[in-house]
Amino acid sequence: MSNITYGRDFEVVQRLKPEPITPEEARAMENLDPTDFEIFNHKMNMIGLEGKETTQKLGASAGMRWGDVAFGIYTAQGDLAICATGIWFHAALGQIPIKYIVKHWTGDPSVGVKEGDSFFFNDPFYCGVHGADMGLAVPVFYKDKLICFTGAVVHSGENGATEPGGNPSTSKTRYDEGFLIPPLKIGEDYALKEDIMTMLTNFVRDPRTLVLDIKARLAACRIAQRRILDVVEKRGVDFFLGGLRKVMVETAKAARRKVMELPDGTFRHPVFMDTVGPESSLIKLNVEVEKKGDILKLNFKDTSPMIPDRPMNSYFQGIIGLTMVYLCGWFFHNLPANNALLEVLEWEFPPDALVNASGDTPTATAPFPQVAFCQSMFHIGAKLTYNYDPLRAVAPWYHGFGFGVYGGINQWGEPFADITGEMNATGSGARPDADGLNVAGSFFATMSDCSDVETTEADKPFLYLFRNFFQNHGPGKYRGGNGAGYGIVVHKVPWIGIGTLGYGSKFPASVGVFGGYAASTSSVQFLRGSNIKELQAANGEATPSNMLELYTTKPLEGQRDMTQITTPVGPMMEGDAVFIAAGGGAGYGDVLERDPALVVEDLRLSLITQWQAKNVYRVVYDEKTLRVDEGATRELREAEKRERLAKGVPYKDFEKEWLAKRPSQDILKYYGAYPNPSKA
Amino acid sequence: MKIRITEALDLDLAAEKWCCNRCGKELVLARENYKKGCLVRERMPVEVHNPLVENSPFSFAPDPEWCRIIEFYCPQCGLMIDNEYLPPGHPVTHDIEFDIDDMKRRHGIDAKTKTKDKTKKTGTM
Repeated sequence: MSNITYGRDFEVVQRLKPEPITPEEARAMENLDPTDFEIFNHKMNMIGLEGKETTQKLGASAGMRWGDVAFGIYTAQGDLAICATGIWFHAALGQIPIKYIVKHWTGDPSVGVKEGDSFFFNDPFYCGVHGADMGLAVPVFYKDKLICFTGAVVHSGENGATEPGGNPSTSKTRYDEGFLIPPLKIGEDYALKEDIMTMLTNFVRDPRTLVLDIKARLAACRIAQRRILDVVEKRGVDFFLGGLRKVMVETAKAARRKVMELPDGTFRHPVFMDTVGPESSLIKLNVEVEKKGDILKLNFKDTSPMIPDRPMNSYFQGIIGLTMVYLCGWFFHNLPANNALLEVLEWEFPPDALVNASGDTPTATAPFPQVAFCQSMFHIGAKLTYNYDPLRAVAPWYHGFGFGVYGGINQWGEPFADITGEMNATGSGARPDADGLNVAGSFFATMSDCSDVETTEADKPFLYLFRNFFQNHGPGKYRGGNGAGYGIVVHKVPWIGIGTLGYGSKFPASVGVFGGYAASTSSVQFLRGSNIKELQAANGEATPSNMLELYTTKPLEGQRDMTQITTPVGPMMEGDAVFIAAGGGAGYGDVLERDPALVVEDLRLSLITQWQAKNVYRVVYDEKTLRVDEGATRELREAEKRERLAKGVPYKDFEKEWLAKRPSQDILKYYGAYPNPSKA
Repeated sequence: MKIRITEALDLDLAAEKWCCNRCGKELVLARENYKKGCLVRERMPVEVHNPLVENSPFSFAPDPEWCRIIEFYCPQCGLMIDNEYLPPGHPVTHDIEFDIDDMKRRHGIDAKTKTKDKTKKTGTM
């Protein structure tokens, strides 16, 4: 052994920013022709994109097939230099396992790093998120010299945790969360090691998907390797090494320049979450960004404490990884996506906070605090940048997830375990000049999809009762996009296990900007012993065809359980059903400024409800013709403004009464000291 | 000189005041939380989010035991400048705190002389 201590490497996880420039890279950059560099940059991005597409086309899990895919080209030191559009944070966090490989395995005679090797990893301590997210990277050699790595990280959905699907909401320690593997050599001489593959498949409920996903990542890495070596063969190693480094150097310069152009100040946005594993409980994630010069400094003081026996904790590296979603997709949307963007960030995490997990604490639902943090970045970013680039000051997409997890034996007699593709069926946030998109995808994987119903039904024992828009957007001058509401019936198998994941059932997961309202809260209905099959056998007319009908005019019979979004996996028999809502995007601006014509157009398309049109948007219209009564609407809205002025009170008077209130102690079990956890 | 900071808010840099973007009403000093210059109203979530399920702890509307909506209005024209969803009694957030001196420098207003420095440029993409 060289430098292994059989414990966690706390040093390598700190190295999210670019490694120092090597003398070789510095020399190589000096000789780069600007035009050649631009062509090189484009070529590398196309190779990255091909890697992402290959991973997606060959994989089997829901995450793979529907675009929750990250692919990157990493330098020989492990920095993410090139990243294809997909899940930015996985690509950025993927550099930690590679830096671990460089640090620990290149000089270790029992492992080594050689041409033809492939390495697998999914330990969230190194990958930042949770055990269901798995990665694979290969070293690329040219004439025996290590010149880079290619890598793919994707949510595979099953790693043998205590619940199927890789996100056990009931886990109490990391040992309940399935296999969590630090970077492990799983292939040599361009072949996967079958003893390792046999071991991995022995851990999980769905070995076929695990194997196909691993091979998809590997194939993508090898194709990218081939393309890279073509470039190196034609232009030489120095050109390649200099080019990769120059992409990052130029990115850092541009990022610093943009941040420098923004006004200095401090911006804050607390997020309140209502779900701690299987329990409803209030916790707070407090985000402050101090912008000074060319630096954005993140501070998480007054965030709720780490919860030792609930999986809501995140490693700090996962939080920083999620900044890449906002930075790459919105804030630095016109800059290359690589970890040089992190040069403008500094961060400070309180010890033992929810966002700074340590020890054996579980992290299976770490994506919840991570995406909640990212919602803060949307809010802070909107306020920091409106004066500079107002069209980028958008309301958040839905952040609370809302998807199913499942496992069992499918209608073909094969084991299966995964998550529903509707994780990517959320609405996007409203914009300064337009509504959010309905069922836009997922904010962290903006090129994602949610599968065709028929495709899902083909290999899962599901019958979709319906799947369409649910009126759960955040209202505003511009409204958020609606998410999808869907009902899944267990079909053609005796039983399977089903659970659900997400947050935002008591407290909204995505709140609006500049006076826009939050997207609706969300709930899940489990229906056992239902009359669905009888209704369908009759003529189907009494079956609900959307969520609104289910909850208003066409309720179903059976044992109905309304639950928070996160519900542990439990047995559901044939004919039982679960109804889930992927959330809507948040609203932008004052609802009273929404064009009444847009309100009735939304009504015509069933994108909002009559109740919302009348009580929130304050529009008067003919219910049959949907013709707006302009005068009456104007009058109603003026009356609403008068009511605001009459019921609103000066800030000091409000504060005096408001600060005396407090939530029930029952819901503050995990919160820490209320209202500011650091005051304990 | 007014610059627009959000959909609903302007900053009058010379006067160092937050102003309503719609009616121009001066709200409060620029170095203060703009919310202190607004009329404030606590609302129950049910007024904005219609519960779809009755008598259930989960109804597709925020739970008032957990969450209230705090709305901030322009005291002159009634525009909703912003709102916050907060647990009962949680302090209002000071969400925007610009370095006003830096902002004035960027926009060519000297903090002392209030003369415009034409060599300074505001950021554009």
